Amino acid sequence: MLSADLIAFPKGGIVSCRFWENDCVVYQELFGQTHLIEGIGAQVFKLVSEAAITYDDLLANLQSNFELENNADMGLILDNLILEYQKLGLLAVTDNDSA
Amino acid sequence: MKLETLSKETVVQTLKSQGLRLKIGGFTVCLSSSIPDVAAHLASLYGAFELVDEADFIDFYTSLESPSLLRRYFRPQVTFSFDGYFPFKPLPYDQASAMFEWGLNWCIASQSHQYLIAHAAVVELNGQAFIFPGVPGSGKSTLCAALVCSSWRLLSDEMTLLSLADGLVYPVPRPISLKNRSIDVIRNFYPEAVFGKVVNDTSKGTVGHLRPPDKSVGFGSDPAQPAKLIFPKYEQGSETSLTQLTKGRALLKLAENSFNYNVLGLHGFNSLADLVDCCDCYEFKYSNLDEAIALFTGMAQ
Repeated sequence: MLSADLIAFPKGGIVSCRFWENDCVVYQELFGQTHLIEGIGAQVFKLVSEAAITYDDLLANLQSNFELENNADMGLILDNLILEYQKLGLLAVTDNDSA
Repeated sequence: MKLETLSKETVVQTLKSQGLRLKIGGFTVCLSSSIPDVAAHLASLYGAFELVDEADFIDFYTSLESPSLLRRYFRPQVTFSFDGYFPFKPLPYDQASAMFEWGLNWCIASQSHQYLIAHAAVVELNGQAFIFPGVPGSGKSTLCAALVCSSWRLLSDEMTLLSLADGLVYPVPRPISLKNRSIDVIRNFYPEAVFGKVVNDTSKGTVGHLRPPDKSVGFGSDPAQPAKLIFPKYEQGSETSLTQLTKGRALLKLAENSFNYNVLGLHGFNSLADLVDCCDCYEFKYSNLDEAIALFTGMAQ
């Protein structure tokens, strides 16, 4: 993932989110699928729902809000989450220059 | 005019001829049948329901009949039809009244997409609707029956109709379907309870239907405000325990217990999200009905 990549919802308004204390539920209208997202993932969706965000800003926010055990790498966790959410059609990643 | 004002002979004749037209919650149903058990079922359990005028619109035209002359006498069977369509395979003849209840469930669940329909019992006290979703065997109908026998209002023991328009729960108060040991549990709990014919060896085991309280039937058009969403689980010998459930998990569990969530798409999602927003959500384990009733009655004060 490039640091300037922009993380956002896919175009067309096909993703809807509802947030509660520590979790959120995301509905992908095209696939008709509902996903429960908790923890770090919920924070990702909270930030993206406010506005498209760069990878670096997203990572910085997560690093300041979550403490990881055993020196786990937040960058690696975020990369995996974004990849998974892309596959599910919940997030889109674009080159910031072309966005 | 209520069904109980008709004589048994009139009920039998009306069922055989033009069909008996009933108002059941917000629905109108016409049932035709020449099967004596069906007439007895309606007479004993549907007495407090209003009859519908000939000129009024009917939502569901249904009938229960033998599939053929042969099946009237040899291993007799019954079929359920809705607007001339037969959604199910025939059942043994002595399951006719239960088939009416199951068939009507199917009619409502498959046709009424103005509601998000959850497989859940719903009862009300002091203006607060408590919703109990659950798979068969979770104890939701037993809990519902016990609450209804303790002055709670029955909205439904089987399906919660959540309006997409206003987020309120609309009633469809009908006989409560109890299975196997639950029948005796409720008979012992409330000896005045009126049951229809108890049928053995159905696909769900032994089934008996409990007459809904007349008062609940009388409020059959009044919606209620959802207040609590509680996922019950009966476990023999367990302590009564109520555990908070996160709203996200509650939404997903309720979606899994919904008949038409997938049909409604985004409307269904928003409807469930609004519901969990306005409800306290819990998981509930129980084995003692008295404790359960005391707990919920306290929560509704």
